[in-house]
Amino acid sequence: MTFAERMLKIDRRIIFAVIGLCTLLPLLYPVGLAIRISPEVKAVHDYIESLPEGSVFLLSLDFDPASKPELYPQAVALLRHAFKHNLRVIGMTLWLPGTGMANEVITRIAEEQGKVNGKDYVFLGWSPGGSSVIINMGQDLYKAFPTDYGNQPTKGLAVLNGVQNLRDVSYVVSLAAGTTGIETWYVFGKDKYKFELGGGCTGVIAPGLYPLLRSGQINGLIGGLRGAAEYEVLIGQKGRAVAGMDAQSVTHFAIIVLVILCNVFYLSIRKARQAQGQGGHS
Amino acid sequence: MIFFRRQLPLLITLVTGIVFAAQYYVPHPASEEMLTTVTKWLQIIGGFALVLGVTSLFHIHAVKIRRKEPGWGYSFVLYAAMLGTIAVGLWREGKETVNGGMTAFGWIYNFMMVPLQGTMFAILAFFIASAAYRSFRARSREAAVLLIAAIIVMMGRVPLGEYLVPISGDITQWILNVLNASVRRAILIGVSLGAVALSLKIIFGVERAYLGGGKE
Repeated sequence: MTFAERMLKIDRRIIFAVIGLCTLLPLLYPVGLAIRISPEVKAVHDYIESLPEGSVFLLSLDFDPASKPELYPQAVALLRHAFKHNLRVIGMTLWLPGTGMANEVITRIAEEQGKVNGKDYVFLGWSPGGSSVIINMGQDLYKAFPTDYGNQPTKGLAVLNGVQNLRDVSYVVSLAAGTTGIETWYVFGKDKYKFELGGGCTGVIAPGLYPLLRSGQINGLIGGLRGAAEYEVLIGQKGRAVAGMDAQSVTHFAIIVLVILCNVFYLSIRKARQAQGQGGHS
Repeated sequence: MIFFRRQLPLLITLVTGIVFAAQYYVPHPASEEMLTTVTKWLQIIGGFALVLGVTSLFHIHAVKIRRKEPGWGYSFVLYAAMLGTIAVGLWREGKETVNGGMTAFGWIYNFMMVPLQGTMFAILAFFIASAAYRSFRARSREAAVLLIAAIIVMMGRVPLGEYLVPISGDITQWILNVLNASVRRAILIGVSLGAVALSLKIIFGVERAYLGGGKE
């Protein structure tokens, strides 16, 4: 067995160790490289910035704990921005396993910003049905959610003053880890009830949402941890996402180096076999 | 009985399919009220689907335990975890916090479910790296193009890549906004046309697989 063949059959635990170190070391010794802001993230930020104080902002946290590392920092950054801008915040989720986490992040950031439940924000919780919930909210928000997550009746809450359905919401952002998520909010929500829609998603599904972005079906997109880091930079409050970018940088480069090495070994083996084949025929 | 098993469901599908396709274009209050009512029904049915899912899960794993199939111990763990969580959840009325304090249900959620799901997702990074090393090879010209595009996008999406090769960020944006978006759009249009065709086939009774394969 040649060196290249041996290297191609390397024990995968060595690769695991390399990735582990590439994640751990930058977290322990951060460098803090500059993060460039992409237009799609800036669009979400600028739209929130353009809303008058007291506008209604609906944040749908459509993800479960599996996507917490990427989407939780996005939620934190968006909520901080919305509360600082004195928007009325409605929180909800279309993913049952994410309910507790969504409640925790909204409550925590609201307390941090000195906001009052029922007056400045409300967390509606989860309701079964996925797309049906969106249609139902579009028709009558109080029929879709008669009570909030803490079982207080939604009718009469100061935060929902003047809000009857989704047509009265100024901006909706869905932070999604898949379906039900941004596409569902567009198809069953924005298309019919005509509110502005933005999105945040995991890095792996972001490329699939670019057609919606390019056609204006969503006005902006926060993609993965990178998107969250950009948003943290935009609001001037660096957090976990910015801290994680060094680790993501080094890990990406480790994978690039691994892929290049694998191809060098693969091509050298192929070339040697071709040479052997030619030698055999001559 | 063929009427109840075949013809009636087909008739209901035909009528509701046409009515709700038309409803989208009729903004009259009566039409909107009908949509509100029916989506409320759908929400209730969605709740029942949850019960069905849990029942099915219980049944599958009960069979595994009874037959002592390979890995039946994991089914036992699933049973214990699920019953334990349901019991604690009912005891604490589904609340994770009471007066600012964490309940047992909240403890299970925050210190078991959240880290376990996070761990499952995090180990993907290790497997992706290993799989990329073993299988991401330039076996053909098309694979080489894909490989180069992937490397550029991976560089352009992290600060280190943009620092070392400043143009990688712009090329990445172009790949995502032009190449990727156009291909994705073509796929979406194809899928959407397929969905429309399938919906029409279901509405008009051409596609009947949803009725099940019972006796006529």
